[in-house]
Amino acid sequence: MTAAEIAVAVRSGQTRAVDIVERCLAALAADRLNAVTRILGERARAEAAAVDAAIAAGRDPGPLAGVPYAVKDLFDVVGLPTTAGSAIHAAAPPATADAAAITRLKEAGAVLVATLNMDEFAYGFATINAHHGTTRNPHDPARLAGGSSGGSAAVVAAGLVPIALGSDTNGSIRVPASLTGLYGLRPGPATLPLQGVFPFAASFDEIGPFTASVADMACVWQVLSGLPATTAADPAALRVARLGGRFRVNVDPDLLAAIDAIAPATPLLELPDIARARSAAFVITAFEGGALHAEALARDAMAFDPATRDRLLAGALLPRALYDAAQAFRAQFHQQVAELIADCDVLLAPATPCVAPPIADPRILIDGAMVPARSDLGIHTQPISFTALPALAVPLHRPGRLPLGLQLIGKPGSEPALLRFAAMLEDKGWTGATAPPGESA
Amino acid sequence: MRQPVKLPSVDPFLVWLIAIVAAASILPAQGRVAAWFGVATNLAITLLFFLHGAKLSRAAVLQGIGNWRLHALVLASTYGLFPLLGIAASALDARLIDPRLAAGVLFLTLLPSTVQSSIAFTALARGNVAGAVCSASLSNLLGIALTPLLVGMIMRTAGTGALASWGSVQTIALQLLVPFVGGHLLRPLIGGWVDRHKAILQPVDRSSILLVVYTAFSAAVVNGIWSKVTVAQLGVLLMLSAVILALVMMTNALVARLAGLPREDAIVLLFCGSKKSLVSGVPMAAALFAPATVGMVVLPLMIFHQLQLFTCAALAGRFDRAAALRDVPQGAEAAAAAAAARGIAIPEACMPGVVANLALLARHAETLHGGTRA
Repeated sequence: MTAAEIAVAVRSGQTRAVDIVERCLAALAADRLNAVTRILGERARAEAAAVDAAIAAGRDPGPLAGVPYAVKDLFDVVGLPTTAGSAIHAAAPPATADAAAITRLKEAGAVLVATLNMDEFAYGFATINAHHGTTRNPHDPARLAGGSSGGSAAVVAAGLVPIALGSDTNGSIRVPASLTGLYGLRPGPATLPLQGVFPFAASFDEIGPFTASVADMACVWQVLSGLPATTAADPAALRVARLGGRFRVNVDPDLLAAIDAIAPATPLLELPDIARARSAAFVITAFEGGALHAEALARDAMAFDPATRDRLLAGALLPRALYDAAQAFRAQFHQQVAELIADCDVLLAPATPCVAPPIADPRILIDGAMVPARSDLGIHTQPISFTALPALAVPLHRPGRLPLGLQLIGKPGSEPALLRFAAMLEDKGWTGATAPPGESA
Repeated sequence: MRQPVKLPSVDPFLVWLIAIVAAASILPAQGRVAAWFGVATNLAITLLFFLHGAKLSRAAVLQGIGNWRLHALVLASTYGLFPLLGIAASALDARLIDPRLAAGVLFLTLLPSTVQSSIAFTALARGNVAGAVCSASLSNLLGIALTPLLVGMIMRTAGTGALASWGSVQTIALQLLVPFVGGHLLRPLIGGWVDRHKAILQPVDRSSILLVVYTAFSAAVVNGIWSKVTVAQLGVLLMLSAVILALVMMTNALVARLAGLPREDAIVLLFCGSKKSLVSGVPMAAALFAPATVGMVVLPLMIFHQLQLFTCAALAGRFDRAAALRDVPQGAEAAAAAAAARGIAIPEACMPGVVANLALLARHAETLHGGTRA
C-alpha cells in the first residue's frame, strides 16, 4: 500500500493504525536486507494508538494518519543515541528531542517504526557498514542498494514501509533511489529542517524522503516543508533541457535513450567547468567531514569504520587555503549556472552511471577504469549538489530489469514544478517504481 | 591552519615619513638649528651603517653562496637591469619630469636590495628562504661599495647636477664604508647582541632615517621644493616607478623561466631582484648629495618603496594561495607530519589508505585549480 492509500484507509476508519503498524513491525523484523538497525516497536505502537484515539475522538489525525515510516540512523530520535552509522556513537547519550523532521511527520499522523542502515557518517555511496553489514538491494540481494541512505531506500523498495527519510550531501538520496527504483528528493538549501540531523559536510547536507510514488512524495514534501506541493504550471509547458557533456559520458545507454525519448529535440546544456565543480565538491566534503571528526580521529582513529576512517583522516589534513579556493569557485559557479539555466524549468540528467553493482565486486566502470562504487557512484549527483539546485530522482519504468533513475533538476524553489513534471512522466508511463521480484509494492 | 593572506594596509613607517616630510615643510630646520641637525644627521648615518654592518651575517652569505646562478641573476637585476632603466628614466624630457626627480629615480635604481622584506616576502610566497637571505645580504654587502661607485660613474656622466664632485664621492664612500666595515668586523663580538635585540634596534634604525629625512627636507623646503614638485609631478613619479617595477618583475619572471630556475628560486629572483632599500638609500643620499637636493633625490625612493611593498605583498599572497593548493600532503612522511601538526597520529594500518586518499584529493586540487595556477 502507498502512504496515500494507508492514510485514506486509516482516516476513514476502514483500518486501524495499530494494525497497520503491527504488520509493518513484523515485516521489518523479517528484514533480510541489512537495512534496519533498530525497530522502535514500543514507540510505534504508542504513536499508532494515539492516531486511532484521535480518530475515535473526532479529531483530525493528520494527512499521514497511521502511515509507518523509518529514518536513516542520523536523525535524532528521543531517548536513543544518534549513531550516524558508527559504533563510536553506539553508547552516546540519548537524544533529548526528536529531529524537527520527525516532529513534523508525527504531527501529520505518521508513525516512526525503525532506524536504518547507512555508510558510517554518511561518507559513501554504497552502504557498506562495518558495524551493521552491507545493505542489500531488494531487486537483487547480491547487489548494493547504494548509499549512503541505502537502508532508507531498501525498506521502501522492499515495500516494508511506504516512506523513509534519508540525507543527501553529494547524492546519498538520489543514488540509492536510482539503484532501487524509487523517487528520492534532494530539496533546495534549508528548505527541509536539518535540526536534529547528524551533519556530514555542512555546505551540502540536506534531508529528503524516499517514496514509491509521486503522490506520496508530494504529500511528504508538503508535510515536511509546510509549503504547497501543487503548482499552477502546466507540466507540458515547462521548458525542458538535457544536460550534456560529462552527463552523457559514463552513462548506461538505456538511461540516455530514455532521457532523449522523454525530451526529444530539447536543448543540450553543458554546465561550465563540471570537472572542477566535482573536484571542488570532493575537496569541500573531505575538508568539512575531516574537520568535523578531527578530534575523534585524534582520540582513536581505529574506532572508525575502516571504509571511512582513511577518507576522514585524509580530509582532516587538507590545507584551509584549498578549501577556501573551492568555496570561492563554488560562488562563481552558482552565478554561471544561474545564467545558463535562466531559460529552463527542468533539466534532465542521469542519477547514476549504471545499475547497482554486485556486492562481491563493488566497483563500477568510469572512464575506462574500474573504480570503487563507494566513492564514484555519485559522479552525476555530486555536481548537482554543488549547484545547490533541487533535484528529484525518478525511476525509469522498466519491469523485469534492474532499476535505473534520472534526475529532474529545477531552479531554486521549484520543487512543486519538479513534482508536477514527475507526475506527468509517471502518468505517461515513462517512470514509476516497480516491485522487486517476489514482492508486492 | 594557515590564515588567508591579506593585502597590507599602508606601511606605518610610510605614515611616519609623510608626517616628517609635512613637519619639515611646515617647520623646516634653518640656520644654527639646521647646522645642529646636520651634525646629528652625520652621526645618525654613521650609526645606521655601523648597525647595517653589524647586522649583516657573513655566515648567511657563505652558507647560501653555492647557488651562484641565482645570486648572479639577482645581482644582475639589482646592479644591471635597474641602472639601465634608471638611465633611461633620467633621459626623459625635463618637461615631463623635473631633472632632480629624474636624478632621484636614477639614484634609487643604483641602490642595493632590501634584506628584511625580501626575505619576508620570499618566505610568505614559500620560496627559497635560505637563497633569499644570501642574495639580499650579498646585495647589501656589495652595495656598500658598488652603489657609491655607480653613483659616481653614472650620475656624474649623466650630468644630473645633483651630485657633489667625484672626489667627494670617494670621501663619502669612505664615510659609509668605515662604520659599515667597523660594525661588520665587530660582529663576532656584538652580532649576537644585535640579533637578539632587533626589536630595540629597529626604532633606532627608523628614528635615524626619520632624522635624515627631516634634515634633508628642511633643506629642500628652504630651497623651495614644493614650488617645484607639483601633484602632477608626483603622479608622473608614481607612473614611472610603476613602469620600472613592472619591467623589472616581468624581466625577472622571464629570465627565471628561460634559466629554468625552480619555482622556489624564481620567487627569490622576483622579490630580491626587484627591491630597493629605503634604509640604505636615505642615508646614502644624505651622504652623497648636496643638502638642498637630498629631499628631491629621496622622494622617488619613498614612493617606489611603498609601491614595491604593495606589489610584492599582493604577489606573495597569490603565490601562497597557489602553493597551498599544491600543499595536499603527499606520501607517508608528509601525511604523518601534517597529522602531527593537527595533533593526530595516523595509525600504521591506516597509512596506505590515507596516502591513497590524499593522492586522490591532490588530483582533485589540481583539477580545481586547473588553468589558473600561478
